[in-house]
Amino acid sequence: MAAPSAAGLGRRLRAWLPRLTQVRWTRYNPSFLEPEVNKELYRKPWDELSEEEKEKQELRALQPIKAAPPSVSCSVFSDPMISKFTNMMMKNGNKVLARSLMAQTLEAIKRKQLEKYHKAPEDEKEKIECNPYVIFHQALKNCQPIIGLSNITKGGKTYQVPVPLKDNRKRFLAMKWLITECRENKHRRMLMPEKLSQELLLAFNNEGPIIKKKHVLHKMAEANRAYAHFRWW
Amino acid sequence: TLRLIYTTTAAWKKNVAASGPEKYTEAFIKKQIEEFNLGKRHLANMMGEDPETFTQEDIDRAIAYLFPSGLFDKRARPMMKHPTEIFPEQRKIQWGEDGRPFHFLFYTGKQSYYSLMHDTYEKLLNVQKHQDQLAAQDLPPQKEKKNLVGSRWLTKTELEEMLLEKLSDDDYSRFIQLLQKLVMMPCGNIEENYIKKFSREISAQLQKVVIEPLKYDEQGVAFSTGEGARKTSRATVTVYDNGTGKITVNGIDVLHYFPVLQDREQLLFPFQFLDRVGKHDMVCTVSGGGRSSQAGAIRLASAKALRSFVTEKEVESMRQAGLLTVDPRVKERKKPGQEGARRKFTWKKR
Repeated sequence: MAAPSAAGLGRRLRAWLPRLTQVRWTRYNPSFLEPEVNKELYRKPWDELSEEEKEKQELRALQPIKAAPPSVSCSVFSDPMISKFTNMMMKNGNKVLARSLMAQTLEAIKRKQLEKYHKAPEDEKEKIECNPYVIFHQALKNCQPIIGLSNITKGGKTYQVPVPLKDNRKRFLAMKWLITECRENKHRRMLMPEKLSQELLLAFNNEGPIIKKKHVLHKMAEANRAYAHFRWW
Repeated sequence: TLRLIYTTTAAWKKNVAASGPEKYTEAFIKKQIEEFNLGKRHLANMMGEDPETFTQEDIDRAIAYLFPSGLFDKRARPMMKHPTEIFPEQRKIQWGEDGRPFHFLFYTGKQSYYSLMHDTYEKLLNVQKHQDQLAAQDLPPQKEKKNLVGSRWLTKTELEEMLLEKLSDDDYSRFIQLLQKLVMMPCGNIEENYIKKFSREISAQLQKVVIEPLKYDEQGVAFSTGEGARKTSRATVTVYDNGTGKITVNGIDVLHYFPVLQDREQLLFPFQFLDRVGKHDMVCTVSGGGRSSQAGAIRLASAKALRSFVTEKEVESMRQAGLLTVDPRVKERKKPGQEGARRKFTWKKR
């Protein structure tokens, strides 16, 4: 788990290490802004916007904007979390396969939930969630750890120090655990969509190996509470 | 007293590197300007044009005609420009005859930068004093904030040109932070004149683009064309009005040409954004690239074609959604000594 640094410190560090030139660069000019694809934001009339939004819109009217990437679209079916997860599942750039696996997973979740729905008695029918997107988001949320461990070397010894995690890092860890779990702990003949749908449903109900892993991490962090003062950021 | 007994030839040679960049005297530059003006009149005479109204563009054309060159780099070709453009601006000598420097910050090495920082900080202190005075008199502070939206700060290169001195990234960011602090303060408007020297206006983006009017074909159906490119693909698209949403690519139906869902989503993106999904027909020709880049090229071309059907505000919203920008990302070249663009060869210890 990398040690984050404050913005000023980062800038100073970058200028301070002269031999490390910038390797990650973009073909765009740094003044280009990210595109905003949600069409609802553009339908709002001028008066309903708050002051901040008005300022932001004025700024955007003057700056050039980057092109929208091919994985993003304004249709209701494109979800940023699902695209991120598909990209992480992808191997060797085979996006077609990853997308089809994702679609099959969501279909499998829907089928299982519908089976449960039709078998359940009347009063429990409302509690069963059938929307696979909602299940996916809730499962990911349940898998996200709150606190993580970071290796800090002090006086020759390396300690595992509990450290608060950023949102990006939490989401990344949840998705990574899901994918590694599904790739390793399954029967040889079982297909990925089936295993993934199983894991997602378990995570949705706060059960399963990934939730256990998250709890183990939290317990480790609690156990190493004494070293929390080693953190300087 | 010490007498010079033995010297090597190395001592007689001038150390070229230690003398720094070539210094031009003012007299030299003046002479160059005179020669340039004289040469301009001679050139005009040669070309049979009026020496009085001979502009820089005419000079460039004349030189390209008289000295044709097939060199690829434009900077290597023969050129005739005003001496101020050719010889870079240099500082005059900073010290007097006795060797004593004029500026009090000369020995810092970056005298203009540090004097600039001192000046800006002085303005900041002025503003604080003004604020304290207003607070002492119990008057409310002036809250007329200058609109930062239409202006940007000077870039590092522009600042370097202004100060005639090299800056580091850190110096530049420090200076910009100071300026921001000055502007953010409530009574910052007092020093507006000073701040204006360091800010530039950004003009609105849309003014440069001309939207073509709609064309009508034989049956009276309105249509418009657009061209798009992405990586190595080039696409041309005609969007017809009063359609059913049928899309034809290179004479083949879209379902057969783009079997992948992602590509078809990209083709529909502009129409979905403008809520015109079933209203237009599209006929496209595309060549080059792979499946994703062809889809991206057609998307850009159709967005450009749809501009003629739509109001200006919607065009602006399309631009802000990233539909109208050409994607500049191309495949990075492979470098020698590495296996690919970024991947290095496997490191072997022995």
